[in-house]
This record gives sequence, structure tokens and C-alpha cells, in this order.
Amino acid sequence: MLKVSAISKAFGAIRAVDSVSFHVSEGEIYGLLGPNGAGKTTTISMVCGLLRPDAGEVYVNGKPFSANPVEAKRLMGVTPQDLALYEELTGLENLEFWGRIAGLKAAEARIRAVELLEALSLTDRANDAVKNYSGGMKRRINLGCALLHRPKLVLLDEPTVGIDPQARAKILEFITELRAAGTAILYTTHYLEEAETLCQRIGIIDHGKVLAEGTLSQLQERLGEGLVFTVDADFAGSTPAQWQGFAERFRILQQSEKQLVVAAVGDRDPADCLKALLALPVRMQNVSLKRPSLNDVFLQLTGRQLRE
Amino acid sequence: MLRALLAKDLRRARRNPLPWLLNLALPILITAVIGMVFGRGSGNDNSLGRIKFAVVDEDKSQLADFLRGAGNQGKAAQYLEPVFLEREEADQQLRDDKLSAILVLPKNFTSNYLTGVKTQLELVKNPAEQIHPAVLEELLGVVVSALNAISRNFNSEFPAWRDALSGEPDYHEIARLVDQTGNKIQAARKYLIPPLVGYTNVVEVPKPAASTGPNAGTSASTSEAKPEQKFNLFAYLLAGMAGMFLLMLANQAMNDLHRELEKRTFERYTTLHERLLPFVAGKALFTIVIVSIGAAIILGGGQLLFHFRWPRPLAMSLLTLAYVCFATGLMAVTVAIMPDERRANALNNVMTLIFSMAGGCMFPTDQLPAAMREYVSPLLPTYWFANTARELWWSDGSWYIPAAKLALVGALGVALAAFLFKRKFEKGAR
Repeated sequence: MLKVSAISKAFGAIRAVDSVSFHVSEGEIYGLLGPNGAGKTTTISMVCGLLRPDAGEVYVNGKPFSANPVEAKRLMGVTPQDLALYEELTGLENLEFWGRIAGLKAAEARIRAVELLEALSLTDRANDAVKNYSGGMKRRINLGCALLHRPKLVLLDEPTVGIDPQARAKILEFITELRAAGTAILYTTHYLEEAETLCQRIGIIDHGKVLAEGTLSQLQERLGEGLVFTVDADFAGSTPAQWQGFAERFRILQQSEKQLVVAAVGDRDPADCLKALLALPVRMQNVSLKRPSLNDVFLQLTGRQLRE
Repeated sequence: MLRALLAKDLRRARRNPLPWLLNLALPILITAVIGMVFGRGSGNDNSLGRIKFAVVDEDKSQLADFLRGAGNQGKAAQYLEPVFLEREEADQQLRDDKLSAILVLPKNFTSNYLTGVKTQLELVKNPAEQIHPAVLEELLGVVVSALNAISRNFNSEFPAWRDALSGEPDYHEIARLVDQTGNKIQAARKYLIPPLVGYTNVVEVPKPAASTGPNAGTSASTSEAKPEQKFNLFAYLLAGMAGMFLLMLANQAMNDLHRELEKRTFERYTTLHERLLPFVAGKALFTIVIVSIGAAIILGGGQLLFHFRWPRPLAMSLLTLAYVCFATGLMAVTVAIMPDERRANALNNVMTLIFSMAGGCMFPTDQLPAAMREYVSPLLPTYWFANTARELWWSDGSWYIPAAKLALVGALGVALAAFLFKRKFEKGAR
């Protein structure tokens, strides 16, 4: 449904997006995961035509966006990161208005707005001004405004940012239903859990480049056999470089004065790994074993935490 | 789509009416305050009212009596209310704000005048008032010009006048002199151009109702009879205030485009549509509608509030509509040029004030420096509107030429703004 081919964008000397490529199929949620300022919003802006790429091309439904932007926009629904709503209008009026702008007749826009309010669990607040909504409700209306014309491709730019867990759960549930209906979804986020639970495929983006891409398990495999250890100790007087044979057995993911995160190299027995770590010449406080997360993948790829 | 855009903006304006109400209430409020301050004592008809002034007669001659009496005769009595006081009493009443001015007829005024010795009438204006003293000053200027013209043209008859007026007046001789002078004026009438003092045999002649209008003081009488239209101070002020505040309303409405940019709703629109012009056109349409409603409230509401009727309502309505188009075009251009709402507001406020002051919205252009009055004001659309709206009171002048100019400038403004917006968003909506 969507194919992004080596798009780039620079603002003066800053290269915000550097040759980014990915594709999204029907009925798939593709997650673009990265910290703030990684280039996610710029990428989405180029995909939906708000910004023109300096290089590369966006294909929607197999056709270049630049060749027929009107047709491409008809197939898309975009939920911006900022709340693009009229606060003085009610939720129903906002939905109806964007439906009309998307080309629906007044009666049809009204019917679909009512349906969406039902699906977004906002029927009881339909006639309240949006300015009186909670943050989560505004986010849901913001999402709904992109869906009036039933687009086949939906671009969601951090749709759950800044809201409470319950409201987030409702939005994620709604997005899952959208995918089940066959909609292709490009989803940007900096929440690891959302990407892990929601997305079929994930692209990790930082400094404008896609560093890795694949399913969650494919990304986890990049860390070896899935053994990641966190060692809490005092590393002030002793460093891994001084420890004999350590580099052959463990790959360091993150290191500070108080904590070391490592992945086991090769096919290793967890008990052997634990024994080796406990034997390190440091004042040990705690050693724990965990399954590698996307954060660990991100750590390995960038050398820093996703939320830093 | 334009309908949906317009309905959305009108709903938003209705839900958040305070900024609009301020711009609607202020012109009416200012008109009421200024009108009541400067037009006090105007009576129930809300016209300019009678101008109360003191005459201090230090001459005590027959000519002075004649001048004293003139203020109480005919049409003058309708607008002038002279009281005859001693100097001290007059000064005291002026200080107490009971008078608009004091006219002093100096000692030996008559004899000096008739013997050709230079003499002066003294007018002491009340500094707390603006319009009434100014009207008196204009009237006195006409009287002085007339006296000077008489002195130049009838100098040879002054000895006879002097004799007739000295001692016990000979009324038969005075009547003969008046008749003789009248015949001479009649004969010389066509050479007295411009006739400062006209002489006509028409007994009752409608006059411009007051002397504060643009044609004030050019003639003391006219032979053209037309239905009398009473000048109204509130209407005079309101036309100017409307000219200024309709610009502010247009700024408020058109600047909504910047608010849409900030709120990212314009960005959302661009994710759905390739052409941006409908959105900008929608905002221009909204501005036209909201400013037209504002004009109806200011001008129509003012009419009800201050108990007057706009003369030639159709002409006034079309002129106002043309001005609304101009205001929309002007604000569309500045909004297109300026990068954000704050800066657009700053520019528009400064521009509105300059246009309003130089265009005669805030006070009559007669009060402006001559160069500005002659060369700048006539070029300003605010002047086209305010001046034409005021002239509807006392002339059959061609309102449609200023109206056409306003509409044309407005249309050009919208077209220019559309071009600027197109260029602005050529590389994307951000």
C-alpha cells in the first residue's frame, strides 16, 4: 500500500531524514520507533505531502505520490502529533467538518461521525465542546478526524503521546480494529511497549536514518541468543577491558559507573553466564537476566537508551 | 466546501464572541462618549444643538446692536444662543463651562470700521469644547470676510452710514441706505466670485444644517432648494468610528488564518487537499460576512441607539459593503505577508490607526496639516468611505465612484493575497 524509497530531507545544514526506505502492506501496522528528534515526524510529513522530499519517492498504492497527489491524499488519513482540532466546536462538529472537507456530503458525514464517536467511545460527549474534553478524549477525536473518509492508508504520528494508560489502551484497541479491517497503518512512536505489542514490523530510526528493520523477533535476534544481563556493581576501580576473556564471552550494550548491560555471545548456558558475571572482580550488588527488549536493540544500535 | 468552511468559522465565532463584541461595542461606546461630551446641550433631536455664547458689547453703538441682534434672527436663532453679558460675568461663565465662547465687540468698533481704521473682533473659545467653538470661529470668519468685502466695495457710502448711525439714529435714512446697498450688491453679484456673502430675494432658503461639514463657510445662503437633512453629530462620528473598527474586525477575522496555522488545522486540511486556495477563499468569505454583520450592528445599532436615520440607506449599504471588501482585501494581504499572528496584528493595528487618522475617521481631515489634507487623505480608502458616508447627509454627490474604488481595491487585495499564499506554501504547508 505504501512504499517509501530512499527519501531525504535537509533543513539548512541539518539532515533531518537521510535516505529512509520502508514499506507498509494492507492489514499491517508498521512502527517507526525512535527518540524525539529522530526524524519520524519529518518522514511522515513527506509521506503525506506536507513536505517535499529533497530526494527519493513515495509510492501510494503503487503510484508515485508526486505524479498524482490528489489521488494519493484521497487514499490517506493523517493524524498529526499535535491536536489539530477546533476547540470551540463539539466532537461531533469536528468530525462532521473534516468529513465534509474530505469530500463527503453533509448527511453522510453526519452518519459516519456518529459511527466513529461510537467506535471511539465518545457518544455521550458528542455535543460537548472539545475544549472541555480530557487529553485522552481529544486524542481520540484527533484520530477520528482522519478516518471519516475511510482511508486505506492511515498515518499516525505518535497518537498516544501525553495521555494516561487507560486512554492509551482504548486508542490502541481501536487501531488494532482498524488493522483487522485491512487498513495499512504507519505508526510512529517512542514508546517501546506500543511498538512491541502493536506493530507487525518495526523500523528503528535515529538521526534521520533507519538503523534496523524487521519483526520484533528478527530485531531481538540481532542480540544473539536472547540472553541479556544487567549487572549492578561499583565499576569505578575496575573496567571490562581489564577483565581477561570477558570480551570473548559478552558484548557490552551499555556501561556506567554503577551498571553494566551485556549480551551473551554465542550459544551459552545462562547458569554459566551468571557464574562468570558473579566472579567479576568488582563489588557486586545484583545480577539479573532478562529477555532482550527493543530498548536493548536500540541500545546496541545507538549506544544510548531510547528515552535519553 | 466553501459553505462548510464558512459554517465552521461562524460557529467558532459564535462560541467565542468576546473578541468580536469588543470590536463592535467600542465604536458605539466611543461615539456615545465623544458625542455627549462635544455635543452636549443638543436637545432631544441629537443634532448639533444650539451654541451658547456670550456677546460682550464694549462699543454700545447701533452697528453693535445690529450684530447683537443678528444672532437672534431667523435660522441663526435655531443654532445660536447669544447671551449679552459684561466681560467679567462672561469670563466667569466660560470658566464654569456654561458657554462655548465669548465674542467681544471692542470699544469704538463702529466708528473705527466706518472710518477705515483697523479694528478687531475678539473671540474667546472655551478650551474644554471642540466643535461648538470651532463652528463659531467659522461663522465669525464669514462675518469678518463680509464686513471686509463691504468695506472694500461700499467705502464711498460709509460717511452717510456714519451720519445715520451717530447720535439718535435716523431709521428712514438707514432704510434708504439698506435699499441702495442692496441694489448695488445685486448688480455686482456675478463678479463676487466666490461670493462670500450672497444676496438673494428668496425669503426662506434651506441651508446646510450646520457649518461643521466640508462645505462650511463657503456661502451664507444657497438658492438650490432640496429636502432639509439635519446634520447629526453622532452619525458624523459613527461613520468614522465604523471605518476604523471595521478594519479591526477584518483584522480579527482574517488573522484567523494564522490561528489555523498555529493550531495545525490548516496542516490537516493540506493532508486532504492539494489546492490551498479554497481554504484562503473561505477565510476571506468569512471575513466579508462577519465584517458585514459588524457593519450592520455598528451602523444600524448606532442609528437606533442615537435616534437618527442614515440618509439614502441603499447608497450607505452599498458603500459599506464596498468598504467591507476593501477591509478584507487589505487584511488578507498583510496576513499573507506577515509570518505569524502577533506580527500581523502589530502591523494591522498600526496601519489601521494611520489609515483612520489620515483618512478622517478619528477626526475631520480639516484638522490635519494642509499637505496631508490635500495630498494624502484623498488617496486613502478610509477617507473614501468616511467622507462619502458623511457627504450623504448634505449632498447628492456620487457615492458610487468611491464605492467602486473601494470594491476594486478590495478585489485586488484578495487576488494579491492569494498569489502570496500560493508562493508561501509552494514548498509545503510548513
